Amino acid sequence: MPLLAMRLAAPSILVDLQHVPNLSDIEDRGDHIRIGARVTHREIERSALLADRLPILSAAASHIAHPQIRSRGTFGGSTAHADPSGEWPTILLALSATMQAVGPHGNRTIEADDFFVGPFTSTLRDDEILTHVSIPTTRTAWSFQEAAVKKGDYGLALIAATGTPRGGVLVDPRVTVGAAVGSVTRLVAVERILTDEPLTDELAEEAAVAAAESVKPISDIHGSSDYRRKLVASLVRRAVVELKNGA
Amino acid sequence: MKKLDSHQHMTTPVIAARSVGTRVLRSEDPRLLSGRGEFIADINLPGQLHVAFVRSPVAHARIIHMDLSAIRDADGVALAWSGQDVAPLCEGLVGEMAVEGCFPTTMPLLAKDEVLYVGEPIAVVVADSRYAAEDACELIDWDFEELPAVTNADAALAGGPVANPQLSDNLGLKGGASFGNVSEAFEQADQVVQGRFYTCRVSAAPMETRGVIADYEWASKGLRLWSNTQMPHYLKYMLTAYLGFPEQGVEVITPDTGGGFGQKAHVYPEEMLLPLLAREVGRPVKWIEDRRENLIAGAHAHEQFVDIAYALDADGKITGVRTDALGDGGAYHMPPWSMAVEPWCAVVMTPTGIYDIPAAEYTYSAVATNKTPVGAYRGVGYMAGTLARECLADDAARALGMSPFEFRRHNVVRDFPWTNAQDIVYQEGSWLETINVLEKMVDYPAFLQRQSELREQGRYIGLGLSVFVESSGESTATSQEHGLGDVYHDTATVRLNPNGTANVTIGLSAQGQGLATTMAQMAADTLGINVEHVSVQTARSTSHAYGSGTIGSRGAVVAGGAVARAADVVREKVRLVAANMLEASVDDIQLTDGLASVKGVADASVSIADVATSIYFDTSSWPEDFEPSLEATQAYDPAQAMFSNGGHAILVELDPETGFVRFEKVYSVEDCGTVINPNIVEGQIRGGVLQGIGASVFEELAYDESGQILTTTFLDYGLPTMDVAPPFEIHHLETPSSHSASGVKGMGESGLIAAPAAVLNAVNDALTPFNVVLRDLPLTPQRVLKAMSGELSTAQQEATSTQGETGHA
Repeated sequence: MPLLAMRLAAPSILVDLQHVPNLSDIEDRGDHIRIGARVTHREIERSALLADRLPILSAAASHIAHPQIRSRGTFGGSTAHADPSGEWPTILLALSATMQAVGPHGNRTIEADDFFVGPFTSTLRDDEILTHVSIPTTRTAWSFQEAAVKKGDYGLALIAATGTPRGGVLVDPRVTVGAAVGSVTRLVAVERILTDEPLTDELAEEAAVAAAESVKPISDIHGSSDYRRKLVASLVRRAVVELKNGA
Repeated sequence: MKKLDSHQHMTTPVIAARSVGTRVLRSEDPRLLSGRGEFIADINLPGQLHVAFVRSPVAHARIIHMDLSAIRDADGVALAWSGQDVAPLCEGLVGEMAVEGCFPTTMPLLAKDEVLYVGEPIAVVVADSRYAAEDACELIDWDFEELPAVTNADAALAGGPVANPQLSDNLGLKGGASFGNVSEAFEQADQVVQGRFYTCRVSAAPMETRGVIADYEWASKGLRLWSNTQMPHYLKYMLTAYLGFPEQGVEVITPDTGGGFGQKAHVYPEEMLLPLLAREVGRPVKWIEDRRENLIAGAHAHEQFVDIAYALDADGKITGVRTDALGDGGAYHMPPWSMAVEPWCAVVMTPTGIYDIPAAEYTYSAVATNKTPVGAYRGVGYMAGTLARECLADDAARALGMSPFEFRRHNVVRDFPWTNAQDIVYQEGSWLETINVLEKMVDYPAFLQRQSELREQGRYIGLGLSVFVESSGESTATSQEHGLGDVYHDTATVRLNPNGTANVTIGLSAQGQGLATTMAQMAADTLGINVEHVSVQTARSTSHAYGSGTIGSRGAVVAGGAVARAADVVREKVRLVAANMLEASVDDIQLTDGLASVKGVADASVSIADVATSIYFDTSSWPEDFEPSLEATQAYDPAQAMFSNGGHAILVELDPETGFVRFEKVYSVEDCGTVINPNIVEGQIRGGVLQGIGASVFEELAYDESGQILTTTFLDYGLPTMDVAPPFEIHHLETPSSHSASGVKGMGESGLIAAPAAVLNAVNDALTPFNVVLRDLPLTPQRVLKAMSGELSTAQQEATSTQGETGHA
């Protein structure tokens, strides 16, 4: 909508999804939870099911803008928008979520790794809509960190970190960065450091250094790339410490 | 002091305070808080058309060719004008300040030959709907040749490319003055502390943007203009002076207004164009500014550099002050305040602050740049002046090894009346007490203890102090004493109704300050009736009382004085009749608590309602030769400048990993003389301080080197929100004015005037372990983190403080 209001986009046809059925549910499907595209940020924030099974979503929802916007904006809309500053793209990439799309040629699923490909760009085709997102519930270790100047602002940097704890370590950690970069990205170097290693303060420091070295931050009026690099390192450190305490 | 004229309307009656001083609930709130306000966007006239502007996308260019025929052919378009079309109707608005060394400019209603800033209107379109008008705007066909964009004040001052061809050396203002032996003070100084402070470009960003509706009736030549202006009478005058609409047929209507803060105290091209368009199309026309327009075309504010130096003697006394202010004024003088007002006020008004400094020298200049014109914003100039004076005071305290409280106490003016170096008299003040009260409120020894303990844990808190004095109740006297030629006065009308209730009309439009409540309190106490029995109409139309504008912390003082004077005329009528009814001498009649009673006689009284009823309906109650009108209009203008004072101490914590500044607590002391309504005064303090926090940390209108503005939405322009608002502790001091009604002084601007200095001092206090002092606003996370990472030594900071490391274009 802001793109329309600012006259940056002038589509000839707008399609209202309001009356399309079956897009508004949060469903527990055992090893994963399926969220419809029309579920609002506010519904996610207040969902008892998510608070229990995917608390990273509940925690992150409160960072999205202000309550008025959260009550209107939808999970699917923000995901498909693929804003590099968006909480959902950053988190869905860290949770290894699966997107379900439908178009004239039928249904298809797209892994998060293959979905977010650039700033405001997903692999959704022009004739497809995102209908649901399926999120595995096995990644029970999690941390979400956002550095925003004021509550409700877009973050200057976002870090999402998740993993499956097994025997005191994380077997498949995923760490993603948003806002500080042109497109949501996994910090593979950090993931490598965390894999199968006992989480310690020293490891957190090592992860922070690796994050600073590997991230390619953007630069704009809100912060230089140098500044954002420091933020990313700091948030990765905080995330690992939180994983350690929660895992 | 300059000899000032004295006139009848400068005296005010003595009022027995009943509701004055109490927390009367705002009478405006039930209506406004339940969505019953009527703002300009809510007003729709039958048959109205909608207006949109084409605004320049480039900072500086010569217009080679412009063709609006595609716009005119578009669906729904009724009219489109370029600068060529409108110039014969109005050459433009002359802007200047009535001070020596100010060089005027004429701002065209639509750019005709050259565009001088991004956002300058270059064409206007009238259509069936706003959508149609905006769509048509995109069809403009024009060619332009880009010219060098002047975006840096120092470069503009040095000469080089010209920003506005009307100012060939880029100078819009230049001047200065010296009082006392300044050279000697500096030559004999034990040490000199100095610094260059930068207040970044910001927007007042009122919650409600600007808006104008014009309706012209050809048969009567009557023009009704709705505008959410702070200066409806001035706007009416301009409509006659510039556009020739017959004065007696012009009515300016000001609906409920959602904040102005000075931005709406200008006369804008849009306000001049709408009446012309309405006359041309023969239908009402409406324009509501969108947020992007407000950020790029509403008056900008603050941007200036202030160089300041204190000469200190061996005892740590300030013996002389030199100040130089350089304003980055944007492309034109924005009438009426102009680009001059910001730097001029910064150095000319209260040049020595609260300090007893015998010698003061100041110079000021404003330069044109290819940016949006800078105008007034709450406490115009005072913010930068107070920032420079109060932050340099902390530098001096550090140099002397004194606490900021101790240094201020050592130098503060203690005896009143005090005549400053400019020969201006400050009748009264609680300047020393402000320092002492603040020191006690913050429990300074406990703070120092906590600060040192937290530093051990790698946490950095800082306490910043800012003590201010400001002129308030903007008046002819204030203006003339400081060498300006502005003339002000305001009227109020008070009518006592047959049942002893009163209706009051004032000449000031309200933007949310609660004027209807405070003026009801003034009228009620003067008339001796209950405040619930008074209804106040603020200036909703120029058809009623006259006013010079809701500006300069003058509402309570000036409207209050006019209300008290008008109510006093009515009171005298009531006393005359009451004396007759009670068979007592009029000199013995007092009006309080709804009764007219005889002084010293216990049960000799009659209700004021009965007196009013008798005046309307019972001639037998009248004394001989009585004139029964219970309605009076009176003017008021303060007889001399009056000064409010106060201070803030702000507690912050810096995050060493992100550079974020967190606000822990604000301690405020305010002395605005007699407090009419503590709720309203405290609301003004909270709002003003929060704007000061915004201007210090969160807000900056950023430009790139080509003059492109980069902050055109609230996504990029960061206003403070409730989430960053810290708790407040507010202490009232009351040193009544010697000459205003009830001893009231103004205070609407004080929060924004003084808070940024406290914020900067707090951040610098927190940065002490890093051996760095910041002097540029805003204190962005990036800038703070850089300071905390040791990347800026003090010496480097001195060098960069003129231009800040991110570069303010």
